[in-house]
Amino acid sequence: MSQIQIKKPISASKAVWTVFSKEVIDNLRDRRTLTTILFSMLLGPILLLTLMWFAEKKVKDETDLVSAKAIELPVVGADYAPNLMAYLKSNNFEILEAPENPEAAVIDGSRRAILVIEEGFAQALRNGKPAPIRVIHDSSISGLEELAFNQLQMSIRRYSQTIGALRLQARGVSPQTLNVIQFNTSDVATPEARNSQVLNMLPYIVIFSIMMGGMYLAIDTTAGEREKGSLEPLLAQPVDRAQLVLGKWFATCLYSSATFLLVLVSFSVAFKYMPIESVTVTLTAAKVAFIFIACFPFVLVGTSAEIVLASYTKSFKEAQSYMGMVTLIPTLPLMMLILLSPQPDWSNMWIPSFSQGLIMIETVKGEALAPQLVAVSMLTSTLIAGVFVSLSIWLYKRERILG
Amino acid sequence: MIEVNALEKSFGAIRAVNKVSFTAPDGKITGLLGPNGAGKSTTLRMLYTALKPDGGQALVDGWDIVKETTAVKTNMGVLTHNAGVYERLTARENIAYFGRLNGMSNKELDFRIDELADMLEMTEFIDRRCKGFSQGQKTKTALARALVHKPKNIILDEPTNGLDVMATRGLRQVINNLKDVGHCVLFSSHIMQEVAVLCDEIVIIAHGVVAASGTPDEIRHSTGQDNLEDAFVQAIGTDEGLL
Repeated sequence: MSQIQIKKPISASKAVWTVFSKEVIDNLRDRRTLTTILFSMLLGPILLLTLMWFAEKKVKDETDLVSAKAIELPVVGADYAPNLMAYLKSNNFEILEAPENPEAAVIDGSRRAILVIEEGFAQALRNGKPAPIRVIHDSSISGLEELAFNQLQMSIRRYSQTIGALRLQARGVSPQTLNVIQFNTSDVATPEARNSQVLNMLPYIVIFSIMMGGMYLAIDTTAGEREKGSLEPLLAQPVDRAQLVLGKWFATCLYSSATFLLVLVSFSVAFKYMPIESVTVTLTAAKVAFIFIACFPFVLVGTSAEIVLASYTKSFKEAQSYMGMVTLIPTLPLMMLILLSPQPDWSNMWIPSFSQGLIMIETVKGEALAPQLVAVSMLTSTLIAGVFVSLSIWLYKRERILG
Repeated sequence: MIEVNALEKSFGAIRAVNKVSFTAPDGKITGLLGPNGAGKSTTLRMLYTALKPDGGQALVDGWDIVKETTAVKTNMGVLTHNAGVYERLTARENIAYFGRLNGMSNKELDFRIDELADMLEMTEFIDRRCKGFSQGQKTKTALARALVHKPKNIILDEPTNGLDVMATRGLRQVINNLKDVGHCVLFSSHIMQEVAVLCDEIVIIAHGVVAASGTPDEIRHSTGQDNLEDAFVQAIGTDEGLL
């Protein structure tokens, strides 16, 4: 034993650094923390891209089916309209005998559409009157199942137009007379912007990952430390409690932002190499860097909110059960974002998670964002984080922290 | 040296510590003895500045525990009740963390931790991660952590809790060594025999009040009992909470 001496306390920055590096190393050895990060990093891209891959595959299969194989079409009273039948056959329909009860066949789903030629069809056609036909279909069936019905409608409309044009010509009138308006469209959406599914899901997954990446540390360093009985000796060290909270918070930020960056990179890689033709999104290194910097204040908000909650709770379990809710809160503004698809402006760019969602969407779309709006988002999020951190420091300075 | 003067602390309507006064001098072992819930831990928590007293005053080497917390903590080593260690860190890293928080350099730490490992007989497990440590090994780690910065004043809150006979003997030896080099050692216990063997000065606390204090002889004297156990029962007025 050496002689006793009076000691001097360390500087604030060194104290924060000491706590920070201890928490980083400590949690680096925790398999649960690393699993969470790895999971968040892989889950998003895999989830999103497999969903899209399946959707695309289905579309492909169905459309291949439509163009290659004839569409089966049961017809009631085919004999009344031999020319129309010939036209439909040449348009890739296979005319079948209609079942006994055509309505029932459509209702039970064994047929998607059945064509009914009314008895007066031939007569009306000969007299130049509108010739009645009826298609039995089920409008409650959506999506690809409607292909047969749509195809049939289109074919019959074309047939009708062709005959109409011939009738006009026979009377010496140009068929052009009927085309009053020439309707053209031009879509200004960039190829990136058309990937609305990807654009809607991306902020959601990224924000969720940021929360998940910080959650474990937030709990372990506060409620966990308290539960394991190492908090009280720590509070007996000559370090201000604010410095302890800051060190713990910075460590949480590091893990959270590492998850954030890794998720962005894994999306970037996935977009580049996943064999999905309908996704034309690119996330270049420059975009990744911009999103990371511009949205970094959300890391501050998310982790500080987690720290407040974990400082308030008494045990690991209690913290964990509340944390589920806190992780969900930032996803609510994102749902509004998906529903409203608003333009970024002064009224919405101050909202944490909402504004970061907008920054991500606009950046991925390749559309320019006003720097002032980005600055507003970064500033307000940082300020809110400041409030949360002050709140946790206040919680730490209460005697109740010892439980 | 720790001087406590009429310290008070209440939690709601419960008066946990009621005008407790005593002095723990340097080079002596002072024992806070009392049944569970007597206010020992609350008194110690105020001394190591985790709690703020409602009234009274306490000085650690002349530093006020309310106004000069940093100076108080810098010159104090604390082993809290049921102290936990960081299980994913090695014993050495646990000790080094607290050393760094006390401003020690890596070079100082290497030397000091080896010294502590020898003193506390923990060389065998000093570089092992604390997960799976026995209670004795954990207590030694926590004690080494409390002593790493060579504090002049040492507070031990029920340090023998959960230790087996051999570990308790070892700890007793360590506490005696600390006293011999001039430290002020203040420790709490609800085990009368332990206090009798180890302490130069005994402060008996019951219901938040000092029931008796002094050397073992003085206490026997003032209570009129021959044996310390009877003196203890006499002082606190009941044998409730005793072993």
